Amino acid sequence: MRRNPGLWYAMPLILMMLLFFAAPLVIVGWYSLMPPRSFALTADLGLQNYRSAFTEGYGRPLMWSIIGAALTTLVTALLAWPTAKILHHHAGRWASLVTALIALPIFISESVRLFGLSVFLMPGGGILAGTLNAVFDVQIGTILNTRLAALVGMIYIHFPFMLFPMLLGVAMIPADRIEAARDLGANRWAVLREVELPLAAPGLLVGGLLTFVLCLGANAEAAILGGRAVTVITAAIEQRFNYAQDWPMGAALTVLVILVTAALVFPALRRIDLGRIIRR
Amino acid sequence: MKAQGNTVWLKAVWIGTILTALYLPIVSVVLASLANTRYMRFPHKTWTLDAYRAAAADYTTVTLHVISLQIAVSVVVLSVLLGTIGAMAYARYDWRGRSLFQKILILPIFFPQPVLGLALLLSMSALGIAPSWKTAVVAHAVWIVPIVTLVISIRMFGYDVAQEEAAFDLGASRWQVAREVTLPALWPGLFSGALFAFLLSWSNLPLSVYTSGADTPLPLWLFSRTATNYSPLVPAIAVIGTFVSGLIVLALLGIRRALFWPSAK
Repeated sequence: MRRNPGLWYAMPLILMMLLFFAAPLVIVGWYSLMPPRSFALTADLGLQNYRSAFTEGYGRPLMWSIIGAALTTLVTALLAWPTAKILHHHAGRWASLVTALIALPIFISESVRLFGLSVFLMPGGGILAGTLNAVFDVQIGTILNTRLAALVGMIYIHFPFMLFPMLLGVAMIPADRIEAARDLGANRWAVLREVELPLAAPGLLVGGLLTFVLCLGANAEAAILGGRAVTVITAAIEQRFNYAQDWPMGAALTVLVILVTAALVFPALRRIDLGRIIRR
Repeated sequence: MKAQGNTVWLKAVWIGTILTALYLPIVSVVLASLANTRYMRFPHKTWTLDAYRAAAADYTTVTLHVISLQIAVSVVVLSVLLGTIGAMAYARYDWRGRSLFQKILILPIFFPQPVLGLALLLSMSALGIAPSWKTAVVAHAVWIVPIVTLVISIRMFGYDVAQEEAAFDLGASRWQVAREVTLPALWPGLFSGALFAFLLSWSNLPLSVYTSGADTPLPLWLFSRTATNYSPLVPAIAVIGTFVSGLIVLALLGIRRALFWPSAK
């Protein structure tokens, strides 16, 4: 045991990951290859579920989820970048308070916050519409039950997940580098593109990846705010599992989501050393 | 000089806007809980705490909190235990498979949670395991243990192993070293890990949805009641639940202060 204690200490987690992370994914993979509507594990395997996944209209929910995740990643990045720069530049008591205030909502359940967003946006007697009506006598419509509302919900929920890795990234930019670039005649845009973004890249990559992956599976936003305007892939999978009782089809859709995730996560994680960011 | 003042002002507005946007929905929940009508007509004709009275009288409130608490406490214990052991492998020892272990460990964090929940649900159904709050604990753990391991590792990286060797040289036993040198040094990391585990489990929706079976934790109940059968009871219980988790966190912080303040300097 003394010879290689690291491996021994890693064992409990390796076991947990094998039993409750890897094994379920293997089982899902197996189911996805079985004939439609079978329940017991069989060895009669084929790719028919994947074929029907694309012919029976499941491409759409998958596409919505990918588009939603990409848009959310983009918008949260655009919102988080100036925020991270400000918080880093004015580091001090105010910045710590603001940072804590931004972090706090993460720990309030997303069902509570999304519910809040929906009563805020509700037409007629909603918080926003009701207030405008009572105070300014202005009637407004609502974006509730549209794709836009679902997107707003995703941006709202995932903003902190983009901001905090980005803060770490921004902290990796030495201030003198920016000054040096300015002294050498670089304009704002050149400094951003040539100095700030490359140096902050690890943080941006982690934030972007985390946001994208979390959004890829997100369905509470669409369920609470999107109404019936949009069916995301998770909702489609759940529907196959529960109502249609077609486990193999649901499993095939699950595998497709996992493949999209893996295609992004593996190359990205090869490029960043999370241990080094943590050790700072 | 003038331009400088302008940008500071602009920055303050930007930050103010972000914070307002983040907190408006939360304030909205509180406002919604003060109504007594089934359909929201804001501003309310009568502002009342009826919904809170109803929530306090309703046994569901207690059940929901008990289930959430059961899950969260189990997750805290599991993840601090496994996370501490895991952090030894992650941060302290240098071994051959370490960098692979570090990479594999973060995979559940970079994985869509509802998809993990669904994969676990399908596996459990295939194996004939009925989902309950216990299976929800397992699902939460797969996601939270890696996070807690990272949190504890941050502390572990800053820990000087030479202290332990010094204690051994002075004749301390293995147990004494663990209790008097290692644990006190790692304690802040363990505490933050426990705090994270509690809050993440308490507020989790996407894993619980598919893995908790008939045992409904708080966020799940709120989620389903928001969609159907809405009444001011829903926001009232949301506020109570958030309050309870806040109180538990404050209590934990208080315990830490009482226990460790004198020695922490």
